[in-house]
Amino acid sequence: MASKPKLSMYWASSCGGCEVSLVNINEKILDVAANFDFYFCPCLLDTKKEDVEALDDGGIAITFFNGAIRTEENEEMAHLLRKKSKLLIAFGSCAYEGCIPALSNLHTKAAHFKSIYIDNPTVDNLLGIVPKHETQVPEGKLTLPAFYERVRTLSQVTDVDYSMPGCPPEPARVWNVIEAVIQGKTLPPKGGILGAGNSSVCRECGRKKEDKHITRLYRTYEIIPDTEACLLDQGLICMGIATADGCGALCPKVNMPCSGCYGPPAGVFDQGAKMVAALGAILDIGEKKGISEDELIRRIDMLVDSIPDYSGTFYKYSLAGSILGGGRA
Amino acid sequence: MKIGVYFCNCGSNISGKVDSEQVRQALSLNDVEYFKTCELMCSDDGKSYLRDEIAAEKPDRIVIAACSPREHEKTFMRVLSGAGMNPYLMQMANIREQVAWVTSDVRQASLKAAALIKGAVKRVAFHKPLEMKSIEMSPDVMVIGAGPAGLKAALTIAQTGRKVTLVEKRAVIGGQPVLYEDVFPNLECAPCMLEPMLDEILHGEYAKNIEILTLSEVVELYGFYGNFIAKIKKSPRYADMNQCIGCGECIGVCPVDVKNEFNNGLDNRKAISLSFAGALPNVPFIDMAACLRARGGDCRLCDEACPLGEGIILYDDAEEMVERRMGAVIVAVGASLYDAGLIPKLGLGRLPDVYTSFEFERLLSSTGPTGGQLLTRSGRTPGSIAIIHCVGSLDANHKEYCSGICCQYAFKFNLMVGHKLPDTQIHHLHKELVYPGKEEYFLYKRAKENPNAVFTAYKDIDTLRITAAEDGIMIVNSSIKADMVVLCPAVVPSKDSGKLNETLGTTVDMFGFFEELHGRLDPVMAKVRGIYIAGACQSPMSIQQAMTQGMATAGYALSGIVGGKRLEIEPITASVDADRCSGCGVCALVCPYKAIGFDEQNRKSSVNEVLCEGCGSCVAACPAGAINGNHFTNDAILAEIEGVLSCLNQG
Ligand SMILES: Cc1cc2nc3c(=O)[nH]c(=O)nc-3n(C[C@H](O)[C@H](O)[C@H](O)COP(=O)(O)OP(=O)(O)OC[C@H]3O[C@@H](n4cnc5c(N)ncnc54)[C@H](O)[C@@H]3O)c2cc1C
Ligand code: SF4
Ligand code: SF4
Ligand code: SF4
Repeated sequence: MASKPKLSMYWASSCGGCEVSLVNINEKILDVAANFDFYFCPCLLDTKKEDVEALDDGGIAITFFNGAIRTEENEEMAHLLRKKSKLLIAFGSCAYEGCIPALSNLHTKAAHFKSIYIDNPTVDNLLGIVPKHETQVPEGKLTLPAFYERVRTLSQVTDVDYSMPGCPPEPARVWNVIEAVIQGKTLPPKGGILGAGNSSVCRECGRKKEDKHITRLYRTYEIIPDTEACLLDQGLICMGIATADGCGALCPKVNMPCSGCYGPPAGVFDQGAKMVAALGAILDIGEKKGISEDELIRRIDMLVDSIPDYSGTFYKYSLAGSILGGGRA
Repeated sequence: MKIGVYFCNCGSNISGKVDSEQVRQALSLNDVEYFKTCELMCSDDGKSYLRDEIAAEKPDRIVIAACSPREHEKTFMRVLSGAGMNPYLMQMANIREQVAWVTSDVRQASLKAAALIKGAVKRVAFHKPLEMKSIEMSPDVMVIGAGPAGLKAALTIAQTGRKVTLVEKRAVIGGQPVLYEDVFPNLECAPCMLEPMLDEILHGEYAKNIEILTLSEVVELYGFYGNFIAKIKKSPRYADMNQCIGCGECIGVCPVDVKNEFNNGLDNRKAISLSFAGALPNVPFIDMAACLRARGGDCRLCDEACPLGEGIILYDDAEEMVERRMGAVIVAVGASLYDAGLIPKLGLGRLPDVYTSFEFERLLSSTGPTGGQLLTRSGRTPGSIAIIHCVGSLDANHKEYCSGICCQYAFKFNLMVGHKLPDTQIHHLHKELVYPGKEEYFLYKRAKENPNAVFTAYKDIDTLRITAAEDGIMIVNSSIKADMVVLCPAVVPSKDSGKLNETLGTTVDMFGFFEELHGRLDPVMAKVRGIYIAGACQSPMSIQQAMTQGMATAGYALSGIVGGKRLEIEPITASVDADRCSGCGVCALVCPYKAIGFDEQNRKSSVNEVLCEGCGSCVAACPAGAINGNHFTNDAILAEIEGVLSCLNQG
């Protein structure tokens, strides 16, 4: 028993879907148990931080680290698990590229605290108390892990061996990776991506792709799309063209446009910018010759303005890891 | 990797503003093996210095910090080649136009130059040796459409000994103008003007180089510049083109009458016909849809009437598909007229003596339905003719452009009518009058001087109204009496040019005319390399302009493709990594040169390196990151940016 390699999974700033995804490998979890000593996972097991600290460096074979780095505690655990793990894997979109938590990088920490603890209509906070790193009480000093100004990805705070995209990673892909390790298969060069293809979601999507000339964009509630034709062709912003394959085109299969959770395809380093570049090619403002500049601008604005939320559309998952990193409102 | 930097002083052009010592110090020795300055790199001395340097230093990569690469990149690439170094292993940093000439402070200029050079150094490390490739190409040319533009192109090319396939949809060559009597601006006799050219094409010294396929249409085109293959559908003519002498004996005996489309249905022709007097090639054709034989009959009257005996009339002639290979294609399919019936108040089709300008040309023509006599449908000599200009032109509800030629032929009509019927009144109703050019105004002046002519401007075609009065007389706008009304409709793309456009894979503009690569620089090049466009299929124009464009396309075809020469392929092209391509098709949308094809079976795109100009649009657009641009790889570009920024941070 003791000779089995140790496996751990940690939950930083994230929703918990990644743990569910691991459990969703169903009966294969028994194979995991047979091959690994599932040592540390605060969400499922009772082992504590002290137990991890007690291990030799490199004492854990693999750590699946999910969640972005939002707080001092997230960062501390990232460093600890890095030290104790042979393979540290950024598991899921939050750890890999920031995901939904990173959309908060568009605003300051103070602005967040204000809307969460003070302006929030369901909160009555007459004294205007917000969490502080240190609080002095009669009994002494209390501390909370510091809440950082920005959300970072795991690789922005420590050295990461591999990343697994997905919000959450598909159980089948999770199993592929675990199986590869169990079978001792050679993994890609360090720093690479596990559990995704090398093309885009369109490769896995069976929809019929026609000429992409979009004269009007729709939001999902505005139309019931045809079930055979490419959603993008129908005017829905489907991020599938600029998203790594691996999920099996789950969303397009149920008539929902891909929102991009598998991150940029291999060879693309900024998913949102890529999508915008591609849309530049696809959006059709009609004949341009002989049209006045004002009219051209009007037509472009009309199309662009019909996109409700640029960062939430193009950088839903990748803001922290993107070139932009997320500006400040 | 051994990277050397050569800093050109460019006399004092660069050294006057950029301090090479300061630049040298800003570059760390980790990046650069050596840094040398030189007086005038592009001079003969400078070039031999560079050649000797490359031989002595044997660098892996070099950076030349000098002028704009637009000026001397090719010069230095040739020096590299001459010195046995792959010319793509060099990068230029433009420190003259972008630094010395636009920065006044020496310290600032030197810092900026250092940053650009650092970027170039970082970038050049990622350069790969690239090789030119070459492929065979066919020197032959296909010309589609045998009007003035196509004929001029075909003849010019044939005169250089090159083979031309001339594909004409109709049974006759010569295009629209062979149907006119006179042509503006000088009222020359149109058939007399064109005849020598047509004869040259049919029987002249170079006729052997021109294969004329009449009653033919291109139905498929594949391949690319230098190596096109066209499939051409040849409809049967039912007469032997080589043996027939065109005596016309067969025509008189034919019992079937049908409307003559060459006269816009104003008279009849036989089922076997020569189109019109003087039509070339002078060989009749059978309109099988009208022939009794097609309706189960066994009529052989025309065959029996042929003085050359049997075998000239070929009842068994059948549709044929022929294939031709060529290096370039010239499209010269002309234009047609806007349907004036769409403006119902003008009465076309409703009032018998309202004519389109084409119809009127035929009424004026000695080979036309009335032998050139100007008569109304009921056979009267018109005492008054109204010519309505700008029908559907200059009109947001119809065609917003000026068709350019209508005023000219309307003035021509004015003078021709004046010659034929000196007492007939002529009313010009126009929105605008245009006569640009060195000859055109004089035609207007002559028309204006016609004592029977009245010019009246109108604002909006919808305010014009033509009504029938008694005795076949019409009233235009409740005041002008007219026995004939001639409409000058907008010139529009010919009916099936859209279909042809699809077949050829070219593009059309917002009006449907074949679209040029660049309106000013390359007005006769289509967006597909190796396809050229001439004449009225590109824009409304006169015969003169059509001839000029025909000549221009011949120029492109002749200079671009030279017999025996191979087609050199620049290595700076894009390529699709098939493994990464998801088949989304975005790339093909952005390629301005139509260089990207789609393999339906594997559902992947690929770039044709012959057509690719290396513009990089697809590289930027491919959302899967599946396209690589040679010489402009992401790695190289990012390294360059980092190089520049790292230097500026130090400063
Ligand atoms: C009423 C009228 C009067 C005019 N009078 C004058 C004048 O006096 N002087 C002057 O300079 N200009 C005049 N013009 C303009 C003149 O007709 C054009 O400039 C000229 O015809 C343009 O020549 P082109 O070769 O481009 O086209 P066209 O003359 O139209 O020839 C095109 C040829 O292509 C053929 N074709 C079409 N489609 C296909 C196909 N798919 N495949 C193969 N072949 C095809 C056609 O059958 C035709 O033979 C007049 C125009 C009009 C409408
Ligand atoms: S629906 Fe989305 S994923 Fe499917 S082909 Fe279209 S763009 Fe690609
Ligand atoms: S844009 Fe990229 S992924 Fe899409 S078809 Fe072209 S090469 Fe393939
Ligand atoms: S680089 Fe430009 S020319 Fe070449 S295939 Fe891409 S878009 Fe077309």
